[in-house]
Amino acid sequence: MHGDALAGVVPDVASLARSLEDSGYLADPGLATALFCAVRLPQPVLLEGEAGVGKTQAAKALAAALDTPLIRLQCFEGIDAAEALYEWNYARQLLGIRLAEARGEGLEESSLFSRDYLVERPLLQAVEHPGPRPAVLLIDEVDRADEEFEAFLFELLAEASVTIPEIGTLHARHAPIVILTSNRTRDLHDALKRRCLYHWIDYPSLEHATAIVRMRVPEAGDRLVSQIAAAVSRLRTIDVQKPPGIAEAIDWVHAAVLLGVHELDAEAVQRTLGSVLKYREDHDVAVEAGLAWVSGA
Amino acid sequence: MPDLVPHSAPPAQADLAALAAAFGERLHSAGVPVTPERASRFAEAVLLASPRTIPEAYWLGRVTLLTGHFQIPVYDRVFDEHFRGYVDLVEQTGPAAPSPASPLSAGERAPRETHAPTQGASHSPITSATPGLDARGDGEAEEMSVLAAASTSERLAGRDFSECSPEELALLRRLVEQLPLVPPQRRGRRLRRHARGDRLDVRATLRTAYRTGGDPVRRSLRRHAERPRRVVLIADVSGSMEPYARVYLHLMRGAVRALGSEAFVFATRLTRLTRQLATGGPDYAYARVADATPDWAGGTRIGTALTRFLDEHGRRGLARGAIVVVVSDGWEIGDPHEVGEAMRRLGRLAHHIIWVNPRSAAAEFQPLAGGMAAALPHVDTFLSGHSVRALEDLLAAIREAGERRRV
Repeated sequence: MHGDALAGVVPDVASLARSLEDSGYLADPGLATALFCAVRLPQPVLLEGEAGVGKTQAAKALAAALDTPLIRLQCFEGIDAAEALYEWNYARQLLGIRLAEARGEGLEESSLFSRDYLVERPLLQAVEHPGPRPAVLLIDEVDRADEEFEAFLFELLAEASVTIPEIGTLHARHAPIVILTSNRTRDLHDALKRRCLYHWIDYPSLEHATAIVRMRVPEAGDRLVSQIAAAVSRLRTIDVQKPPGIAEAIDWVHAAVLLGVHELDAEAVQRTLGSVLKYREDHDVAVEAGLAWVSGA
Repeated sequence: MPDLVPHSAPPAQADLAALAAAFGERLHSAGVPVTPERASRFAEAVLLASPRTIPEAYWLGRVTLLTGHFQIPVYDRVFDEHFRGYVDLVEQTGPAAPSPASPLSAGERAPRETHAPTQGASHSPITSATPGLDARGDGEAEEMSVLAAASTSERLAGRDFSECSPEELALLRRLVEQLPLVPPQRRGRRLRRHARGDRLDVRATLRTAYRTGGDPVRRSLRRHAERPRRVVLIADVSGSMEPYARVYLHLMRGAVRALGSEAFVFATRLTRLTRQLATGGPDYAYARVADATPDWAGGTRIGTALTRFLDEHGRRGLARGAIVVVVSDGWEIGDPHEVGEAMRRLGRLAHHIIWVNPRSAAAEFQPLAGGMAAALPHVDTFLSGHSVRALEDLLAAIREAGERRRV
């Protein structure tokens, strides 16, 4: 149980929220509670929400706050055990056979399937992490992986162990803190959800968004930041295909700072809109609504 | 069932755990399935975090008890009902006995708590759906009449659904359920071993090479495996489509269960029926469908429904690369232009669009309905699907669409 080892670092929800803030991430009380439970129960947590609300960022910040490595597994269609768990290094095995032959030594099969020939993929890395604190394992966009892949995760999520037929079951000395994210492109299997805590990350409120952007882009002026935060929430109210999230707001402020914009007006919006709306149709919708309206002028 | 109340815990905390159990039970009866596992997880989290304010307790419960976004409104309501009138938990964590401002907690809580584990495990909200909302016959009786009328089914196969009597429609259910559903295929990303593959399977080749002293004598090949292609069925259940709607519901249930398809219906609004159709016997499934679609036999807003489908499902990936089947007569009370725009967007996402218009079987049919005319330019295959025979054509079209390259 690593819960006790972390009790000193994360005594309660508020202190976790503070250390997240120190590592540059403003978590609302809900997210802080979810992460607190993930660390202390300990229990994997499934984060869902629209793209760009900071799901991946939350895992990164948690790793930084706990001062422990972040191990990331990006899911994609067709991902399988060889890419997620472990793989045998065939080339090296073959080389080993050749070498043994050349030296005239006998070679046991079991020595071919030893740790030397094992390529560790993210899930195994997380289980094998030596400590002193558990690693944060981010299983990103799990909805992109095939449904069959979810079953690979069950053993890890429930037992914090990985089974390799040739070696046996490897138990984690420090069970990783697992964070799964999903963009809800499909429903995840109930068996997976049953093993996880659940948190839905909503778009942040205007003031929360302003605070986040201010923290992430300290070089931007206060006025510009609050104008852009307001403009982003305004863009979300019109019929755009991809409503901009907090990530887009940060990109937008970066773009504006780079172009030397200090005050958001229709002309500045025109120049920088590409950093926040990524579809041509969305641009048309924004222009129709009026760039001056977007800028708040 | 783990004990929710640790014996060693001080009284104030034990009270919180009992509160957690009672709340879990209440949430469960409101329709959010709370398993004993989750209830104990909630209690554990409450003991661990010792919430001092109502919002803190709110988040602990929301994080540990829910499994999906859609449950949040119910949770909010139940939480509000359950904790309204309670004093802030700050006062309960003090060393004093439970504060006088919460007289409910001691007396009323106790009997409930003993019920919590058993009830929590036994009833699920799904079984509360009752059959009997529609007047279809019993399964066995139906089978009898099918046997007695073997020739009838032959005759019925060619009959337009709109000309069938209710009894004949009940018979048709059997015919529709027997239609062979073959999943359309697409090229998968994964590689599988195959005798005539187009690339080398290094892993298998080397494994067999161990047997021949490390020399790769036998070559193994692999190629992209075939995967089933997603099928999305969207049916119009407005008043003008009423005679066909029920038959298509049978087809949808078959497709959801056999092909893992997604099913939607719309009249004035869009309803996703995949979950309702996926489990349980047909009568339960159709009763759940009736519960879920208040707009059954209402007016038609094809454009709004399709736009909603695209916004909430299609764009997220449901329609991407899928075969989309739209069943509708194209009578639109909204703006036909919206239908055209939605179909154009759908056309860019989907692999193949099949439009089924049962009215098109009539000899004098012309695609004059506003919605139909607007949609046609974006449709890949246009079918009638008005009888069981025509449904066979539809299934063949779905099967073939999987193999076809996108044009």
